[in-house]
Amino acid sequence: MSARTQSAPSVRAALYEAPGPRTKRLIAVGTVLSALVVAALVAAVVRQFYVTGQLAPRYWSFLLEWPTWRFLLQGFVGTVEVALTAGAIALVLGLALMLGRTSGPRPVSAACRLVTDFFRGVPSLLLIYFFFLVVPQYGIRMPAFWMLTLPVALAASGVLAEVFRAGVNAVPKGQVEAAYSIGLSRWKTMRLIVLPQAVRYVIPSLIAQLVVVVKDTTVAYVVSYPDLMQNARVLITNYDALLSMYLVVSVVYVLINFAINKASVYVAHRTGVKIIR
Amino acid sequence: MAQESTTDKNVPVIELRHVDKHYGDLHVLRDVSLSVARGEVLVVIGPSGSGKSTMCRTINRLETIDSGEILIEGEPLPQEGRELARMRSELGMVFQQFNLFAHKTILENVTLGPREVLGQSKEEAEKYAMELLERVGVASQANKVPAQLSGGQQQRAAIARSLAMRPKAMMFDEPTSALDPEMINEVLDVMVELARGGMTMVVVTHEMNFARRVADRVVFMADGQIVEEGAPDEFFDHPKTQRARDFLDSIKGH
Ligand SMILES: Nc1ncnc2c1ncn2[C@@H]1O[C@H](COP(=O)(O)OP(=O)(O)OP(=O)(O)O)[C@@H](O)[C@H]1O
Ligand SMILES: [Mg+2]
Repeated sequence: MSARTQSAPSVRAALYEAPGPRTKRLIAVGTVLSALVVAALVAAVVRQFYVTGQLAPRYWSFLLEWPTWRFLLQGFVGTVEVALTAGAIALVLGLALMLGRTSGPRPVSAACRLVTDFFRGVPSLLLIYFFFLVVPQYGIRMPAFWMLTLPVALAASGVLAEVFRAGVNAVPKGQVEAAYSIGLSRWKTMRLIVLPQAVRYVIPSLIAQLVVVVKDTTVAYVVSYPDLMQNARVLITNYDALLSMYLVVSVVYVLINFAINKASVYVAHRTGVKIIR
Repeated sequence: MAQESTTDKNVPVIELRHVDKHYGDLHVLRDVSLSVARGEVLVVIGPSGSGKSTMCRTINRLETIDSGEILIEGEPLPQEGRELARMRSELGMVFQQFNLFAHKTILENVTLGPREVLGQSKEEAEKYAMELLERVGVASQANKVPAQLSGGQQQRAAIARSLAMRPKAMMFDEPTSALDPEMINEVLDVMVELARGGMTMVVVTHEMNFARRVADRVVFMADGQIVEEGAPDEFFDHPKTQRARDFLDSIKGH
């Protein structure tokens, strides 16, 4: 084994062969052709909107008014609150389920496994209906916020438990044996040696799951919680402006998820630059 | 009683009595009995699959045994919990693949045990860690992570990590087998120095020169059994059993 340097080549670099002159020419032609196709499609769509009158000022002018944006902003804040709370609960619960499953005594392990598989398998919309329709029947009254946040969190926790477990399994056995051999307890070995490495392995999957959480919150209308999507629907009804509103809202969701990606990469770099195996 | 046994020079540091172990149908350790005296350097040698690693790993219970007894300074090896962790902390283990903690710097690797297990302060742990890193010649790498070091440097750092716990004895499982040839000696030199300093050592290795220089005794294992044991020169020059002769021929061959 020779000296390994820190800047190990990425998988991408390994899979991507530097193009030669002929390939470069092909890529150039391909780029131009696809740009043309995309431009043509966009033109066709815009034309269709024009023909059907979707571009008429009355569908768009309300976007120039402050109250519209204030209302959307309130919805945005609602979405962020639900997503952050649900994400935090899911991370903690997912971690707990994974720990219970991998290191708990047999009954605990079996129970955690069952719970994990259940939350992972059931569609989050079904869980939301459960909290919205079934739970109140037992006299438990919950604010809309929690009727949305809890099911979204539970659904995500099942997936996150599996993500964490994959990470833990990816940590080489030798790391655990070395920790035991200097006298670390099982719990300290998990906390100080295994988990920190496991989390670094699964950061991309964690991000992906946070994005899913944000998307799951868009069914807030079921419980009439004023999130971005719900408020957008209200505006759509008020102004009869389906297209413009959906366009604006999709851009906002894309931006939120883009921000999550950027933030996670930043966090990963702050905490995890040291190892790339 | 624990007091007496730790001070008694005649009690072996490590003792295996009639140890048996199976992996399913495979009988990996067959009635293995062995004792290692204080300050003794024992080299274990034998063909691949003969159970050398398994034996080494049973001593700090990284592997369990089916029957027999393992005694550390006359006390039975604890089976679980805090007592087992404490016993492990008193026995150093050096692995073929180094197994340095990949997400921690070399210095953190060496100070982790003293701080988390022995409860030393950061300053205290770092001071001794730097001494040890100096001694094994990787002090200048203290703030790098393992992946930035050569194999030889990693293995020397791993030895320092074990030494930081001030162990009663150390086990080495083929510590140089994963190394490029030019790095083998830098690791063996550290081990020779340890042996000369009076450390009790069990070393699984095929490095005959090392064995001749520092071993007090060589144990030859085959098929899970101790087939032959003796002083190194006697064993290497005049092996008594056919199995040992065949094996020595095969490793001298290359
Ligand atoms: N976890 C395990 N499960 C099943 N079989 C195992 C396991 N670990 C080791 N073995 C088997 O036990 C036997 C002894 O293995 P061991 O690693 O102790 O041999 P060794 O003498 O150290 O060999 P080597 O020189 O290759 O390291 C081998 O046949 C091996 O395949
Ligand atoms: Mg081995």
